Amino acid sequence: MIEGLLDGPAHELAAAVRDGRVRAAEVAEAALRRAAKAKEAHGSFLVLSPETARAQAADVDRRIASGEPLPLAGVPLAVKDNINVAGLPTTAGSRILAGFASADDATCVARLVAGGCVVVGKTSCDEFGMGSSNENGAWGPVRNPWDPTRVPGGSSGGSAAAVAARAVPLAIGTDTGGSVRQPAALCGLVGVKPTYGRVPRYGLVAFASSLDQAGPLARTVRDAALALSAMSGPDPRDSTSLQGAPPDLLSGLERGAEGLRVGVLAEAEGAEGGLHRDVAAAFRRTADLLRAAGAAVAPVSVPRVALAIPVYYLVATAEASSNLSRFDGVRYGARQGEGDLGELYRASRSRGFGPEVKRRILLGTFALSAGYHDAYYGRAQKVRGLLARDFSEAFLACDAILCPTSPEPAFPLGSKTGDPLSMYLADVFTVPASLAGLPAVSVPVGLSSEGLPIGMQLVGTAGSEPTLLALARAVEKASGAAADRPPGAVR
Amino acid sequence: MRIDAELVRRMASLSSLDVSAAEVEAFAEELTRIVEHFETLRQVPDSLLAGQDDAPSSPLRPDVPAARGETPPAYLSDNAPELSHGHFVVPRVVTRSE
Repeated sequence: MIEGLLDGPAHELAAAVRDGRVRAAEVAEAALRRAAKAKEAHGSFLVLSPETARAQAADVDRRIASGEPLPLAGVPLAVKDNINVAGLPTTAGSRILAGFASADDATCVARLVAGGCVVVGKTSCDEFGMGSSNENGAWGPVRNPWDPTRVPGGSSGGSAAAVAARAVPLAIGTDTGGSVRQPAALCGLVGVKPTYGRVPRYGLVAFASSLDQAGPLARTVRDAALALSAMSGPDPRDSTSLQGAPPDLLSGLERGAEGLRVGVLAEAEGAEGGLHRDVAAAFRRTADLLRAAGAAVAPVSVPRVALAIPVYYLVATAEASSNLSRFDGVRYGARQGEGDLGELYRASRSRGFGPEVKRRILLGTFALSAGYHDAYYGRAQKVRGLLARDFSEAFLACDAILCPTSPEPAFPLGSKTGDPLSMYLADVFTVPASLAGLPAVSVPVGLSSEGLPIGMQLVGTAGSEPTLLALARAVEKASGAAADRPPGAVR
Repeated sequence: MRIDAELVRRMASLSSLDVSAAEVEAFAEELTRIVEHFETLRQVPDSLLAGQDDAPSSPLRPDVPAARGETPPAYLSDNAPELSHGHFVVPRVVTRSE
């Protein structure tokens, strides 16, 4: 029975633990076995956490016995390696943090554990969350369970591969410019980037602080909604967390699409770099599904969406160049170099950071430096404001905007690593919502002609997660894609 | 705009990064392509940007500083490359003339 529960959605597994049909301790052991296989097969996990998992599972069993109604009772959870879990290493996929042990749980982790989750391990990611393919991590690439010659997406590719492979039913990642949604799409999962501030950032390794948000990766919309409900809410340790109670994500989940207005992004089919023909077909099919489910579907324009890539890569790299200045070999992480203090800084950073991180630090330093600041960073911030205004105007005519999550299905490992700009363009549909601080959900809609998952994205106004998740649930029901199982699933 | 080797070396110096000659050459080529792509931002007329606020505001509330009781916290000694008497140890930066 446990194996069947691990193959199914998290909410059914939690119900079985709550009902006493299975103990959290038994589920944890089975998930640890599966995680070990997934680590071997796909490189999705960097480290397993049997001691943490066993202690948390025992605690869940005690709390269930005492009558606590835990919404995520005994659900095995994988955590991206740029999110702190007490007592476990956090490297953010970087050599510069080799040996770093987290002092406490990130707020989002603590809340999921309080809701009944059991942490079985930390997952691989692009270094500091910088990448769209999970090929930039210091500890090796991750392989997609749908096709091991292809990438799982990034930067939360390890989390996505772990859930897709049925090692765990739930994982968390971080999304700065699409790092939850894009791997969700490439691995056939639901991924949510919440409204900026919805989920506290305490305990996340900062990449770009005005953009970073943690979000869930799950196999069903209900599981994603359950996890996001647990993670959301204000936090005194994060001054950017939204104040006030978060919205109810579950009671309206089955309301359907009836009466909702969905705008189909007019600029999508002409996106720079092109749209894969199977993605274009799935885009049109999803619009038809929503129309058949009762939504009013019409084209909508966000005129400056094509400028989102340059804006994002100027703003995010500028913030990264500042955030990553803390990694200097003095307070934590790997120290390198002999000689004076400057040599210690340079040696620790030069040997600790990988090529993509160095590239982005250089780019961000350029954007902020005297003589270039106004023409690049300053201009990008102003265009970011215009883009947010474009979205506000578009949402006068619709409740959500539909567009592809990724312009193409999972691409072959190594096919873009020699061309950073081509890799950046893979984020064309995810960065606009990030820049405007808007919530967005990626939902699987079926497979390509090559048997690879395709995801579609729904973007809404700030705070509209209940509407987005209800629409995503309508798409999920109509497409039936949640039942698709990858050939690389473990048992 | 062309990012030349001298500019790459200047950015690397500001970033406290050592870059080899091969890295300088590769970064100059890659960053030039990337920055040339960014020139599309110039399509936006200055008149539109003139009164434009910067990025959408974040939900920032006033920070509330809170002191930690333990000195130094255990996580510092667990993770610091070198700690002595509650202080991070770094190479000598001030030398006394003999």
